[in-house]
Amino acid sequence: MKKISHAWQKYLQQGFINKKYWQDFRENAQAASVELQEIKEYKDAIPIIEKIIAETGAQQLGAVGEDDNKNLLMVYTALQKQHKLYTDKFAIVKNAPQLDIGFSTAEFGVGETGSVCVDNYAYEARLISMLPPINIVFMDKNNIVNTMTDAFAVLEDVFTEGYTGFVTGPSRTSDIERVLTLGVHGPSRFILFAVENAG
Amino acid sequence: MIEMQSRNIKNEINEKIHDEILRSNLANFAQQYPLARAKAYANVDSIDELRDELKNMKQYAVNHIEQLADEFESSLEKRGAKVLRAKDGNELKEQLLKICRENNVHNIVKSKSMATEEIKLNDYLQEKGLHIKETDLGEWMLSVAGQHPSHMVMPAIHLNRNQCAHFFSDELKEDIPEDIPYMVQTARRVLRKEFLQADMGISGANFGIAENGAIGLVTNEGNARIVTTIPPIHVIIIGYEKLIPKISDASKIMRLLPRNGTGQRMVSYLTMIDGPTPVIREKDGKMVEENKKLYAILLDNGRLQAAHDPVMKEVYQCVRCASCLNVCPIWSTVGGNVYGHIYSGGIGAILTGLLNGMDEFAQFSDLCIGCRKCTTVCPGEINIPDLIQELRNRRVTQKGLSTPEKIIFQRIMTNRKIFHSLLRAAALGQKPVKSGKFIRNLPLFFAKMTDGRSLPTIASTPFRDRAETLLQQGPKQAKMRIAFFSGCNLDFVFPETGESVVKVLHDVGAEVVYPQQQTCCGKPIIGAGDLATARKLAKQNIEALETAEADYIIVACPTCGETLEKSYQELLADDVVWFKRAQNIAAKIREFSSFIDEMYKKENRMAVVHGSQKITYHDSCHMKRGLGIYKQPRELLNAAGNYDFVEMTNADECCGMAGSFGMKYADLSVQLMDKKLDGIEATGAQTVAVACPSCMIQIGGGLDKKAPQIKVKHIADILAENIVNND
Repeated sequence: MKKISHAWQKYLQQGFINKKYWQDFRENAQAASVELQEIKEYKDAIPIIEKIIAETGAQQLGAVGEDDNKNLLMVYTALQKQHKLYTDKFAIVKNAPQLDIGFSTAEFGVGETGSVCVDNYAYEARLISMLPPINIVFMDKNNIVNTMTDAFAVLEDVFTEGYTGFVTGPSRTSDIERVLTLGVHGPSRFILFAVENAG
Repeated sequence: MIEMQSRNIKNEINEKIHDEILRSNLANFAQQYPLARAKAYANVDSIDELRDELKNMKQYAVNHIEQLADEFESSLEKRGAKVLRAKDGNELKEQLLKICRENNVHNIVKSKSMATEEIKLNDYLQEKGLHIKETDLGEWMLSVAGQHPSHMVMPAIHLNRNQCAHFFSDELKEDIPEDIPYMVQTARRVLRKEFLQADMGISGANFGIAENGAIGLVTNEGNARIVTTIPPIHVIIIGYEKLIPKISDASKIMRLLPRNGTGQRMVSYLTMIDGPTPVIREKDGKMVEENKKLYAILLDNGRLQAAHDPVMKEVYQCVRCASCLNVCPIWSTVGGNVYGHIYSGGIGAILTGLLNGMDEFAQFSDLCIGCRKCTTVCPGEINIPDLIQELRNRRVTQKGLSTPEKIIFQRIMTNRKIFHSLLRAAALGQKPVKSGKFIRNLPLFFAKMTDGRSLPTIASTPFRDRAETLLQQGPKQAKMRIAFFSGCNLDFVFPETGESVVKVLHDVGAEVVYPQQQTCCGKPIIGAGDLATARKLAKQNIEALETAEADYIIVACPTCGETLEKSYQELLADDVVWFKRAQNIAAKIREFSSFIDEMYKKENRMAVVHGSQKITYHDSCHMKRGLGIYKQPRELLNAAGNYDFVEMTNADECCGMAGSFGMKYADLSVQLMDKKLDGIEATGAQTVAVACPSCMIQIGGGLDKKAPQIKVKHIADILAENIVNND
């Protein structure tokens, strides 16, 4: 998959990430309506995802990010046994308007705001994370930076072209009577798997 | 423009005042916003440090604007985008139409672009037969309804769900229930179709980064992400003021913008796009991946001129968070539609003046009452009221004053004798100038009674006629010599308060003199932009005060105080000799309550007491945000014998007088006053203290009509009472 960098980890490890920011991240993410799932291993996500699929009656799934993450590939392969899950970019694009759940990845989280940084250079990654009503995202739980200032210091090294940004919870609006409503143009549910042993 | 000439702002305001839906939406928001903002900032060490960083970064940007624009352009072109520059709306429209024609574009989706609203792009493209859709929910509803946004961040805050459902039903030709989640889902469904069939996406930018050519887009709905993803062509329309030097500078915006704008630590989506990105489409039955066509148009339309204007370049510090509206007492009462067609509130007046023209600006520029509340929250630390004042001054220089203003300012106000005879005549009930237009340009006065407010009468014996006898009662051995500058209100409307001032000063051992040649400080004339006349008054007052040879000059009106202390030096900055004289006077100016606070502390008279009568305190805008004095009056009240001090909610919100505003927009002024009266009544206090005679007129006039059992008193009167009691 096309990314603005395949070496995020290298830059993050220049003193930006620290486990001690996790508490802040959790608090802020939850305040922003992120559905946070803390898991040890990637495989621990499978039963939780199965439950979500069962509860929502999701039928068509699309997923990105498995090409440079064999654990993720394992999760997707497991899901593919029971479900229709597209990982080929052309298949994703073709079926994008009908997808019920999109699976994608985030590079790191920001303690100050509960945001996750997403590398969305690939077109299919953008569709997956925006069109389906549910977006399920995988992130290394250890990759948390302190503030937005630090987050942009990382981008200063990484961002030379392409499409990136920060996502903080689901799509929302308060345009009618200032009543908060989730899921306007993007997903109404943003589920984040923070994987402890991601490396 | 026809639309502009036919505007009747007073009627528009009147309509808004009686719009119950609008009023209740705004009232709720005004209550929620400060709390949400404070909560969002709770995990930040110093807001002011962040504000300074943002201001400094943006100041650097405006000082290097051409360089940044060149760098942004070359960064983007290097990455394969096409960059154009448009000097105004017309040029941009032509450029855009050409892009549409070259690429055979029919369907356009749009997100996050106030610049295109500024130049009314949608109307133009529709005229040319293109199908263009707003995709932000609020803006889409408004475009369906043919309305304009009333806020830069919450465009539809003036509507309720019933009205929205009505617009939905009309547009979609189906019956849409008044159910918010249902409406949101409907919008999702309808606009999703638009996204999928669009050939072009147009976006604005919250920032454009020179070093790599990236733009940033801030949304909660996520529409900007889809607009910049699905269509094979993306056109960025970006104003010069959005350019920043480096990637890391974006964090300086992002740590403030969401917190200040919507009370969020971060928005749902910050999207950053740098150069052309891939798009996958079906072409001739085959899926192909190719790079999008990316265009960026840098819009000038007055921006570059502003960048090179030593005063107005401050607008580049704006990040369009609209927090200045959120705390504005006028916006909070009548909403954003009474301003320019796109940019509302105080910052909106400035932007409208610079980008849409001074004729449009002049129609509503006096809706800024100069309360300075916006300056306490603006993330870019823009002195919004000062910039508005600067534009008003320029307007007067260019167009001149209206005839009644000219007569009053230039013939009457500059001649103290004529001016004061006129006031005396008014006191005798002769009312020689009873026409409304005349009156509102005087510093106060004989304006018509309104339904909700009594206005005071001119006293039969002004302070200046009482001064001689009174001043002889001073201490035998004076510790200091004080000149009292009364200002028109304490001279002609509240001479008894002037007497209280003198009594309190005598009591701290001062000899008091009253230079009879003093006249109006000139503030109303400065406000109207007639600086030449204001300069004459400044010189008269400086001369009068110099003759007193006093150690201190005491003012008991914060507006006069601010004018004498700050404005005179600004007015006389170009004249070395007069500037120096203004500086010497300024060095002696002391505001009454803060001066007495200092004296009483020296004399150990500040023990907190709890008397039998509850008293509360209203902060005058000029006192708190102009002079920075708010602790001292409270300390004095806490120590005042008969009283028990209680705080009111929103003590520092404008009472609505604001000089001539209170006369010109009497009905709106009364709305602001009513909020203030509610706050006072809720404390259960029998007395409300003020340190400003203008507030005293306004609050006193309101209490007289609505709660006559509560009295308004100048802090000098309260301190003077105490002296009687001590005797």
